Amino acid sequence: MMKSHLIKKMFAVVLVAAVVLVAGCEGEKKEVNLGVVNWAEGIAMTNLAKVILEDEMDYDVEVTTADVGPIFQDVVGGGTDAFMDTWLPVTHKSYMDQHSDNVEVLGTNFEGAKIGLVVPKYVYDAGITSIADLNANADKFDGEIIGIDSGAGIMATTETAMTADNYDITDLELMASSGPAMTATLGDKIDNEEFVVVTGWNPHWKFAKWELKFLDDPKGIYGDAEVIKTVARKGLKDDMPEVAEFLANFEMDIAELGDLMGAIADAGDDKTPEDVAREWKNNHMDLVNSWLPETK
Amino acid sequence: MTIGKIFANIVNWMKDNLDFIFTPIKFLIDYSVDGIVLVLSLIPGLLLLLLITALANYLSGRKVAIFTFIGLFTINFMGYWDQMVLTLSMVMVSTIIAVIVGIPVGIYSARHERVDSAVRPILDLMQTLPAYVYLIPAVLFFQLGTVPGVFATIIFSMPPAVRLTNLGIRQVPGDVVEAAESFGTTSKQLLFKVQLPLAKPTIMAGLNQTIMLALSMVVISAMIGAKGLGLEVYNSITQLKIGQGFESGISIVILAMVLDRITHALGTNEN
Repeated sequence: MMKSHLIKKMFAVVLVAAVVLVAGCEGEKKEVNLGVVNWAEGIAMTNLAKVILEDEMDYDVEVTTADVGPIFQDVVGGGTDAFMDTWLPVTHKSYMDQHSDNVEVLGTNFEGAKIGLVVPKYVYDAGITSIADLNANADKFDGEIIGIDSGAGIMATTETAMTADNYDITDLELMASSGPAMTATLGDKIDNEEFVVVTGWNPHWKFAKWELKFLDDPKGIYGDAEVIKTVARKGLKDDMPEVAEFLANFEMDIAELGDLMGAIADAGDDKTPEDVAREWKNNHMDLVNSWLPETK
Repeated sequence: MTIGKIFANIVNWMKDNLDFIFTPIKFLIDYSVDGIVLVLSLIPGLLLLLLITALANYLSGRKVAIFTFIGLFTINFMGYWDQMVLTLSMVMVSTIIAVIVGIPVGIYSARHERVDSAVRPILDLMQTLPAYVYLIPAVLFFQLGTVPGVFATIIFSMPPAVRLTNLGIRQVPGDVVEAAESFGTTSKQLLFKVQLPLAKPTIMAGLNQTIMLALSMVVISAMIGAKGLGLEVYNSITQLKIGQGFESGISIVILAMVLDRITHALGTNEN
């Protein structure tokens, strides 16, 4: 029964450690929990918000990376205080429809985001410039539109676009895959200069890496432009009005966000996104100060 | 559709009414993982490396010790030590809980047919129900982070502990049990002095499988906010960083092989 001794000892160690932790945690700063999906614009904005909350407003910030569904669920449940990467009115509509009573939209972080069908520039230059051109050229694309996760908002929108009432795309099939599989396919096709069409969105690092174009959307199915908003749990405004006010004020334009995303991408493995965001913050204090709550 | 609705309603009811169960579980898991991480990170990396190597040497011999040293050194060299420590802690906590629950259930089902036939479909469910189906409810109960990840890992990795304990006890030859009974052993003596010792290699094989399955869940756990090696893999695949994906992925493999070789010996060594 040597094992049971081992387990007992382990538990003793765990308990001691737990006591130490609990004791150590009391009387600390207030903690803010931010959720982030591993999307470049979200990483940029969330890390910037983190360093501002920590350096300028004296909070502790815990950033948790997860998938978008679980994060929404946790904002609804109250474990995550805010999620800064909600795309509206189209992409994350399904989440908002479900949960709009249980979350609070604080404000817009970014305007002019876009979703749609994306092709490499050489496809666009070859004359396929509109979603309306796709069906006639279906064989050039092997009859496939490369999609992402089947639950994603952009997939539902693309299915709508393909119906008879809209672009009547019958000879191409929308393939569900995943974000990484989509970008891997895109990269592979571009290396071989083959035709490919994917469901895409910008801001996204793929636009920095390859020359890409959105196909024209004359019927406006994908909406003109999307905005990225911060969604917070109910009650954040009451518990931490300063934080809510700051997140509501937080807004970047394409030049600012592009600059920060580029800096994070260029840093590679040498610096964490947080380090880069801190440097960026220190160089843009005017902008940062305009976001800070008045009460501060 | 109605079946799905019933499930959703059950989940919501549990969320509203069973918080008094979930909250202590959450704290237990959270503090156990944090505690082990804290203890392991108080030890300097190199010393911990040597300690694990010594443990491997003691339990499994020099070959495994050499592999352990080279493997863990490689993880350290690639810069994934801290993540490895966190993943190891999560695997330890989920394995301990899976074994504490799993072995008694296995014993119970080996001795009572009715329990066995009730437990078996539950085990099937735990092993085959796609993890995503209960990940969202897990987030609802435990919030994002390490805890729902460990919870999902326990669900997925517990069945081998139950099944192989059950199998091990059933495999004890009937004449041995008969002989023991004819000498008048009590049921308790039969279990602890005859069945469990003879079943030990099989039970340890179950422990070993539990650890392996636990490691296979670390990437999925990352989708609900768990950190560690799984998050490195998840982050690199979602941004197509092939090199980082390989390094963190191979670190998981090394950790799995080290734990496999060390625990493999537990079943065979002492007999």
